[in-house]
Amino acid sequence: MDKTDAKDQVQVLTKTKIDLSRLACAAPAANAVVGQSLQRTDDLLKVTGKLKYQADLPKEDCLHGKILRSPYPHALIKSIKTDKAKSLPGVAAVLTAADVPGRNGFGAIIPDQPVICADKVRFVGDGVALVAAETEKIALEALKLIEVEYEVLPAVFDPRDSLAEGAPKVHAQGNLISHDKLRKGDVEKGFAEAEVILERTYQVPFLEHAYLEPDVVLAALQPDGVMLVQGPMQAPFTTRRNVAPVLGLPINKVRCVQIHMGGGFGGKEDSPIDLGCRAAVLAWHTKRPVYMSLEREEVTLQTCKRHPMIMQVKIGASKDGKLTAFEGVIYDEQGAYASLGPRLPPAGGSHVHAMVMMAGPYEMSHVKVDAYLVYTNHPYGGAMRGFGAPQVHIAHEQAMDELAALLGISPLEIRRINAFKLGSATATGQVLDQSVGLRETLEACEKSFGFSKRFKQAGYINPKSSKRRGVGVGMGWYRTSIGTFGDGCGANVHVHEDGSVLLFTGITEMGQGAFTVLPQICAEELGVCLEDVRLVKPDTDQVPESGPTVGSRSTTLMGNAIILAARQVKESILEKASEMLMVPVSRLRASQRKIFDCENPERSLEFKAVATACMATGKRLIGQGWWAPPMATLDKETGQGNPYHVYTYSTHMAEVEVDVETGEVAVTDYVAAFDVGKAINPKALEGQIEGGVAMGLGYALMEEVAIVQGYTKNLGLNNYLIPTIMDVPNVKSVILEMTNNLGPYGAKGIGEMPNIPATPAILNAIAHACGGRVRSLPADPEKVFWAIREAGGPPPR
Amino acid sequence: MSNLEITFVLNGERVKVVTAPDALLVDLLRDTLGLTGTKVGCREGECGACTVLLDGKPVNSCLLPAVKAAGRSVTTIEGLAAADGTLHPLQEAFTEEGAAQCGFCTPGMILNAKALLDANPHPQEGEIRQALSGVLCRCTGYGKIVAAVKTASQSRK
Ligand code: FES
Ligand code: FES
Repeated sequence: MDKTDAKDQVQVLTKTKIDLSRLACAAPAANAVVGQSLQRTDDLLKVTGKLKYQADLPKEDCLHGKILRSPYPHALIKSIKTDKAKSLPGVAAVLTAADVPGRNGFGAIIPDQPVICADKVRFVGDGVALVAAETEKIALEALKLIEVEYEVLPAVFDPRDSLAEGAPKVHAQGNLISHDKLRKGDVEKGFAEAEVILERTYQVPFLEHAYLEPDVVLAALQPDGVMLVQGPMQAPFTTRRNVAPVLGLPINKVRCVQIHMGGGFGGKEDSPIDLGCRAAVLAWHTKRPVYMSLEREEVTLQTCKRHPMIMQVKIGASKDGKLTAFEGVIYDEQGAYASLGPRLPPAGGSHVHAMVMMAGPYEMSHVKVDAYLVYTNHPYGGAMRGFGAPQVHIAHEQAMDELAALLGISPLEIRRINAFKLGSATATGQVLDQSVGLRETLEACEKSFGFSKRFKQAGYINPKSSKRRGVGVGMGWYRTSIGTFGDGCGANVHVHEDGSVLLFTGITEMGQGAFTVLPQICAEELGVCLEDVRLVKPDTDQVPESGPTVGSRSTTLMGNAIILAARQVKESILEKASEMLMVPVSRLRASQRKIFDCENPERSLEFKAVATACMATGKRLIGQGWWAPPMATLDKETGQGNPYHVYTYSTHMAEVEVDVETGEVAVTDYVAAFDVGKAINPKALEGQIEGGVAMGLGYALMEEVAIVQGYTKNLGLNNYLIPTIMDVPNVKSVILEMTNNLGPYGAKGIGEMPNIPATPAILNAIAHACGGRVRSLPADPEKVFWAIREAGGPPPR
Repeated sequence: MSNLEITFVLNGERVKVVTAPDALLVDLLRDTLGLTGTKVGCREGECGACTVLLDGKPVNSCLLPAVKAAGRSVTTIEGLAAADGTLHPLQEAFTEEGAAQCGFCTPGMILNAKALLDANPHPQEGEIRQALSGVLCRCTGYGKIVAAVKTASQSRK
């Protein structure tokens, strides 16, 4: 069924129907709230400037917290003198490692980063002392008065050097955090069957999230001894889990309150832990609220980055294009601290995520991948919109194109031959038994973009121009959920006697639209309107544990928890309505503030009236939902199992113009198709797609945290370039819905998927346009220029 | 250096404030006057989140000494909607098109777009992009922002 969302012309193609059995009435009307492009609940505040971010809230009585950072990538701390700093008027506290009341370590999963370094620093930016003062200026003055004596140590900056015998040890236990293995079939046999084998190495640098809102936190000790930590944060529960042991408090004596974020993209999973622990320690000592904000340069210096990776690929195919074997090695650079590094069992770590996805969404009998997660003396790696997946897509999608060229078949052909379909087995041996719309996204893209025709037309855009045009394709898949222990989501739904609703969840809003989409699901399930549901903002004292807002899990996992919570209330409502209307519950349906008899819709009651009656007779109006995806399984030795319960699929097609004289690239046309299971809010979904493509474009063409001998050279937005409005073309989105049986209304995750195939689609288009291929990102003008020369110079006119 | 008293027109009303001679307009607006709709993303003139209109022209208030506002007219995002709360057509269009995600760039985007539409009520897409090229957005990919400016320009007679 093809339908167009009339409100805003978002094209949604529904391929499979949702299972109706779980709905109360056998023949429901179309969803009234879910599937609609409703306006975001916080838009009015945003466009009028009234939305308060943490930096906009009052800070009159606060002390200002500052961090003294290591000037060396690797050094021993011989001594620290703080007397002068302490005696500066206006300074409330100068703290060193001994002042940390509890565990001197934090980290999203592995707490190996010192709140304040005691004996050693491991990257430029490591915190060696903390200051709180009456003004920011005094705090900065005080930092200058702290005297630290270091003994500089040799450092490592490349994961391969880091693994070498005799390399300087970043941590005492050694530099290898984890070596994980994937073994499926017998790659030797697979390569013996191949007629064509391609071997390549692809490399990607550190990336900065570059969320527009710099990190900021407020920590305040409450009169009852509870530590309040407040600010933009993607993972309030993870922050709480870290602040508590750092202060030596039980978890219930730390309260984390999330304030609307000016962008996160994975980065504000880690950074609020880092800032929160430090501000909390200062607040603990001074008994005053402490406000800590980072300047843009400090954000780049201190916070986590997208992991750089060196990826070796060997891929074989038979003459007809069927893939026979894939062998990969991943050197995943974790930097100085492990953060989200692996937790066993069963999964975790960007390298593990990269490993299970490295062979791409393609059928193959023989796969072998070795993934190494390694410490270096660089800033630490963290989640950034895909946690390992964007990196390996850059490898496999380029390898597919390079292999297709060797085979003499088109990039679409090789993907058509090998792409996952229903029933395919992945590299981990997981059989994809539902919701696999990958091939459909390819065909939808082709239909809209006309790749095959345009592929044959590469060349100079006109006889006098130095610009050549080309097209590229990128395919991808991405998990919904994080797949590790702790993926459960809780939601509470309270209905009041006037029919108004409060929804409590711990999922955070960072611009992705959770505060609109989650109430939409709640309203749909209860049969009320979006305006009737008020979402209570994440506050660990008020909302149930929801896990972090990461892994494209919010809509899908939390959506299910909300449905379960809403149904508990709806049960009361329908029972009461059944008494009042004298119609069996099985015939009742709730929609748009009415409870009515399906067989005789005239017989109806106002939702409000039924809620009032429930309250008056003591019927339950509070629901509590909990949902966790099926437990992940992944064998430690073979990497076989089901790491995630469902995947989103996508194909992107890009057109570029490459100036062969200068190496400059412009992306001129773009189509991206997704199988999302179900579009809960098509317009918000489209927003995720367009923003994701822009981010993938930045990764392809311009972004790189340039670190030389441990020192970051581009700390500002003047030299860390992100795409501007002049760089990003109009993106056409095509949304397909292949129902996910485990998702709310069939939905799957979408937050991260859109940026993933974008990067290789653009890289493939560049290679198609000019013959030069950049295998070490970014494909900036200089690299494109040299890639063209390496490939034999600009193609003849 | 001693503090200075300056007078200027802020969102249509005369204000008189005392400012340090080296204070930046963005801090005067946010800290002294409590208008926090103007955002700070970089303090280096790169992100455009701090854009305000000075005599109708967009400027990065993180680079502008507050004293430069003396005797001039400053418009911030708080000054766009009518006194009765009626939204400016651009504000209307940004909500309609879903052009704000995290919203941090939104005030800067809207103010740059206002300066454009005031000078050129029916711009081409290229002109819209040019006019907004000083404001970074990490969330939207800009497509819906361009669409919103187009929508607003059409809603003006
Ligand atoms: S804060 Fe002024 S340009 Fe970024
Ligand atoms: S909406 Fe987030 S930066 Fe533009």
